[in-house]
Amino acid sequence: MKRNLAYLLTGIILLTSLAGCGKKDNPPAGETEIAVADTETVDVPEESDSSEKAEITFWHYMNEDKEGVIVNEVIEEFNASQSEIHVTGQYIPRQELMKQYTIGVVSGDLPDIGMVDNPDHASYASMGVFEDITDLFNEWESADFLEGSLNSCIYNDRIYGVPWGNNALGLFYDVDLLEEAGIGVPTTWSELEKAAELLTTEGRYGLAISAPGTEEGTFQYLPWLLSAGGNVNEFNSEAGRKSLEFLSNMIEKGFMSREVINWTQGDIQKQFASGQAAMMINGPWQFSAMGTDAPEKNWSVAKVPKADDGEYASVLGGENIGICKGANMDAAWTFLTWLTSSENSQRICKGIGRFSPRADVDLQQMFAEDEKNLLFAEILPTAHSRGPSPVWPEISAAIYTAVQEVFTGQKDIDTSLLDAQVKIDEINASN
Amino acid sequence: MNLRKRTREKLIGYLFVLPAVVYLFVLIGYPIIYNWIIAFQDVTATTLGSSSRNFNGLKNFIMIFEDPVFLKAISQTFFYTFFSLLFQFTIGFLFALFFSQRFALSKPIRGMMVISWLLPVTVTALVFKFMFAENGIINAIFQKLCLIQEPIGWLIQQETSIWALIAANSWIGIPFNMILLTTGLTNISSDIYESASMDGANIFQRFFRITLPLLKPTIMSVLVLGFVSTFKVFDLVYVMTGGGPVNATEVLSSYSYKLSFIQFKFGEGAAAANVLFLFLFGIGCIYLKTISKDEVI
Repeated sequence: MKRNLAYLLTGIILLTSLAGCGKKDNPPAGETEIAVADTETVDVPEESDSSEKAEITFWHYMNEDKEGVIVNEVIEEFNASQSEIHVTGQYIPRQELMKQYTIGVVSGDLPDIGMVDNPDHASYASMGVFEDITDLFNEWESADFLEGSLNSCIYNDRIYGVPWGNNALGLFYDVDLLEEAGIGVPTTWSELEKAAELLTTEGRYGLAISAPGTEEGTFQYLPWLLSAGGNVNEFNSEAGRKSLEFLSNMIEKGFMSREVINWTQGDIQKQFASGQAAMMINGPWQFSAMGTDAPEKNWSVAKVPKADDGEYASVLGGENIGICKGANMDAAWTFLTWLTSSENSQRICKGIGRFSPRADVDLQQMFAEDEKNLLFAEILPTAHSRGPSPVWPEISAAIYTAVQEVFTGQKDIDTSLLDAQVKIDEINASN
Repeated sequence: MNLRKRTREKLIGYLFVLPAVVYLFVLIGYPIIYNWIIAFQDVTATTLGSSSRNFNGLKNFIMIFEDPVFLKAISQTFFYTFFSLLFQFTIGFLFALFFSQRFALSKPIRGMMVISWLLPVTVTALVFKFMFAENGIINAIFQKLCLIQEPIGWLIQQETSIWALIAANSWIGIPFNMILLTTGLTNISSDIYESASMDGANIFQRFFRITLPLLKPTIMSVLVLGFVSTFKVFDLVYVMTGGGPVNATEVLSSYSYKLSFIQFKFGEGAAAANVLFLFLFGIGCIYLKTISKDEVI
């Protein structure tokens, strides 16, 4: 009996130990859902032979409960509008989708059209996820996009996608609390610190930012660095030191929670909505969540405060879409240009809390009545783009690690800046 | 005649095993071999899709062993595994002994305790993440009991974050240890205890002279199983801390994932995964050897 038990257990051990290492290539149980989706997308073209429609799959990470609703509506509309192409949309959470791309490069299971976060586009283009669409793009009559957005689609001087939607960061503040405290909307770092001090009470922090060890952390830190006159390649500089000093000082004085290193931008939106933070740094894609979470709250937005002797700065966020390797090019291109046409891009972006990346959309006019959106429409043209570079994820890792080191007090500012600079120089040299 | 019959029986036996063997080879064997191959190749974002990748010898392994974060991840994996096992096993064993006493409700309560093992790890991880937050219930309880003055940032401090993970993992693992040890305990015949007490053995003698030696195979299995599942932890770390703050809870699996899927250094990520594999393989071999020794006795 005992011996049998021992044998049984040995079998299980060997199995689990082997499976543990197979993890990378063999999605664990939680991912089977997606694996199933994979096979479905592969099967679809076979079925389409009978209906004689070209089948296109579109992988995106627009959450099904929120922005995805709009995306599905548009896809339905496209399917109904013509009889040549049938599009199937597939929502896959962002990180999972990125993993599926890398796996797809090896296995060949890629969608026809896929979405990608704009700083990562160059990496995935270099990996061979996306088709070079330079020629098609140049022949396209209405290829009129903002320069910064289009740049993020370019790798080695070739175009690998089309911008889908833009966003940027701004300061969200509680109007009533600022009025109660008798202060205006902060525009500089010192004003921000003063405001945060006055608004911090028991159970409420003056300011919330998001500084996790992911791309989000870098995205949220860059406005401070840029406003102080810095840039990512010269991180170890006066600007780097000043910005980290200002932010860590906010934590030390208790105006900002130490937990920011664990908070995503979604988390701080909840903090702000529930009144646990009086101000936060976030973007327009949170507008709809603010509406549902705190419909009564009186809040507004402003530019991210600038360094006392610096300029306003923001970072360009958003997504691009590209045609994947092995796709049905003609059908995919038709759908892609339909999605990003002036009229549709405008409409979709408005619905999903983003801004059209097209140069022929007049955002100022479009949001003339809408203060909050108008502010971001103002910020966007000057927002800095990240990368584009296939090594951006590595550079970004060096930056968010430094930010976390300083915020947790693990290293002093000078050491962490120096260490990060060494890493960044190495990455740039090897590229 | 007899011999031929036996060969045929053997063949039929092999046929029964064949599907399982094929399954194991295709779904588990192939990824392992593939992983070893790319660990010796220069696989980055630009070379992932190309069919001819350069063989670069031990370079990936050299790179990761020169990486302080990787070395830190190894020692943290062992640290985490050791303390998780220590708590799971001791507490699980105590519960097993407790519930092997036959008292009213012992069975339903024991059954309910297994719930923590049945919950998806992601759920447990999220719950513990909230509990260990600065304004979470753990700080609230400690403050009410006047054990601490200021709330502790469990998950945001270098020193405490790994202990929060160990606590969560122990909570998951206790029922698993308890159930297996209870099974072992029920297999020990009560006659032995009876005759021992007739001979005047006290409770401690009975435990150390009878329970422990007879339970040894079960204990070995429990420990090895626990080691394997704890050592290759991924979901718990990924959800609770993501390896942070600043690598304070980076373990082999999470670091391998980061190398591959965040930084696109697939070769190095595979090398790191293979180091993890080697540790587990070693433990598996040692365990098999111990079992076969017991067989001889």
